[in-house]
Amino acid sequence: MNAIILSAIWGVVLMFCSVLIKNKGVYRHIAALGLLVILAGNIHETYHGSFFNIDTHEMLRFSRFGLFFNTILLAATLLYVLLSGRDVEKAGGYVAEYFTLIFFVLCGASILTSFNTLLMLFIGIEILSIPLYILTGSDKRNLRSNEAALKYFLMGAFSTGILLMGIALVYGGTGSFMLEVPRSAIMGGYKGVSFLEVTGLLFLLVAMSFKVSAAPFHFWTPDVYDGAPSVFTSFMATIVKAAAFAAFLKLFEARVGDTSAAVDWKLLLSIIIVSTLLIGNVTAVFQQSVKRMLAYSSIAQAGFMLFAVFSLNDVAKEGLLLYATAYSLATIGVFAVLIKMKDVTFEGFNGLARKNPVLAATTTICLLSLAGIPLTAGFFAKFSMLSAVIKTGTYTWLVVVAVLFAAVSAYYYFRVIQAMYFKEGDAQTEEVTGGFKVLLIAVAALVILFGVQPQALLNWFYF
Amino acid sequence: MGILQFLFWLLSAVALTGAIMVLASKNPVHSVLWLIVVFFAISGHYVLLNAQFLAVVNLIVYAGAIMVLFLFVIMLMNLNTVIETRKNLWMKAAGIISGGILFLIMISVVRSSADMVSRTAQLKEGSIGLIETLGKVLFTQYVVPFEISSVLFLSAMVGAVVIGKKD
Repeated sequence: MNAIILSAIWGVVLMFCSVLIKNKGVYRHIAALGLLVILAGNIHETYHGSFFNIDTHEMLRFSRFGLFFNTILLAATLLYVLLSGRDVEKAGGYVAEYFTLIFFVLCGASILTSFNTLLMLFIGIEILSIPLYILTGSDKRNLRSNEAALKYFLMGAFSTGILLMGIALVYGGTGSFMLEVPRSAIMGGYKGVSFLEVTGLLFLLVAMSFKVSAAPFHFWTPDVYDGAPSVFTSFMATIVKAAAFAAFLKLFEARVGDTSAAVDWKLLLSIIIVSTLLIGNVTAVFQQSVKRMLAYSSIAQAGFMLFAVFSLNDVAKEGLLLYATAYSLATIGVFAVLIKMKDVTFEGFNGLARKNPVLAATTTICLLSLAGIPLTAGFFAKFSMLSAVIKTGTYTWLVVVAVLFAAVSAYYYFRVIQAMYFKEGDAQTEEVTGGFKVLLIAVAALVILFGVQPQALLNWFYF
Repeated sequence: MGILQFLFWLLSAVALTGAIMVLASKNPVHSVLWLIVVFFAISGHYVLLNAQFLAVVNLIVYAGAIMVLFLFVIMLMNLNTVIETRKNLWMKAAGIISGGILFLIMISVVRSSADMVSRTAQLKEGSIGLIETLGKVLFTQYVVPFEISSVLFLSAMVGAVVIGKKD
């Protein structure tokens, strides 16, 4: 509850700041301060309970998993604001409003980690999405940004329609919006699985797959990630995607068990996973722009995160925590450097190592983590996802497919590393401050820390 | 045949005729006008079900706001002349599949309707759709989603300002 209320309040605070404070440089400090406050509030709630005593009528249920996920999202956002806050100021003329929207997105994200009815799921998804449509279109003079925003809005609205239809059908089948309905409580003691409920859940599967950009519902992702200002792409690809996955996992954990007699969910999800991995990885290989490559790679990474929804066990939950952290850290790091580059094609990175060794080294570590090389956080993230699949005991061939595609992904990540270290060129970057470099080194250090000691993160979950 | 039954059949006939005319009329403006007829008939059904709030909201939102929006779009885009749109095979196939899926749902509902009527329909004493009941539920049981949706509207408002304002 703390994270939901405080982030909504801080969003409003920033709206007032845009009226009261004219100096644009101040906003990102206020945003960072707000994130610290929310982070502290959320950690307090994890161990001692919420500041606010509100009867939610079981509409929200705050589990340890959800609260810990909030902590990860908030910490990632803090890092994002510290690293790229200065670039938010360059994205457009309404700096304080952009930060406001980021805080509203966080409010939606913390609803998604704690919802207990489909009603809250819907509100959470909408609060998460609508600010993103605006952030995507924030570069108003840029046609590509406009196109991306319109495309995202139309497709997002359509998927929201499917989500709502699914919720309505589930309600029709079970007579309740609650996430977990005791079978005995369903209207009139109907014994079997209702056709309506299953159809509704299929609709929900489609809508959630759209939100996490899993194939074949990924078509918006490359255009939107490419067209949006890079600084907001970074936010969308990390924090927002992780929050959507938390909701996906929560929804299916509660509902799949009852309906598995009617639908083979594992088969459906394995089809989605394989096509996501295939399309994401293979298309990323052919990209010329690093930004677009990262968009496809984020589809491929979504394929890996879907293993958590596929296996639905304790290892998968731990794995999703680890994966969300590893992926967010690495992607925020790579994007922070990408935003500073004058030229975002692969050629633009030529010879960066000679010109700016710190940037090149930290980018390399982040890219290695994305590829899942041992000694980086990405390795253990992928490892725990795959061990979750093995623990389910079925569909073990998926592991082989996933490892093969992870090998493919190494190709396009290493292309960037190769460009930075082994190619002659004159990589143009904007001015980078000393503080930025220190933060980048901190990100890289965290990536390596969680790669050597993943328990350092997971112990907090059980502590 | 009681007055209620007579009204039910009348409204159903109006709604179905309207819906068919929406699809059948060549002129988009006529389609929109027929759609308004459909909405009015359905609002009548809501009143018969004692769901006054739903009836009024249906009129205000659909017959009022959304229809005006439709008409504006049609007139601004100058679609009121009859244009025969080119339909390719893919679109037809997609339409058949999605229509078929909806039809499947309808069949399933109709099949289990005898069972459902005994459990869901509130005859004669249904007060669930009255504004008083709705208000009570909204401000007690559903107060959290009600309050949280204000964040949603706030972000939409911020967005309208950010996108719409002149630089």
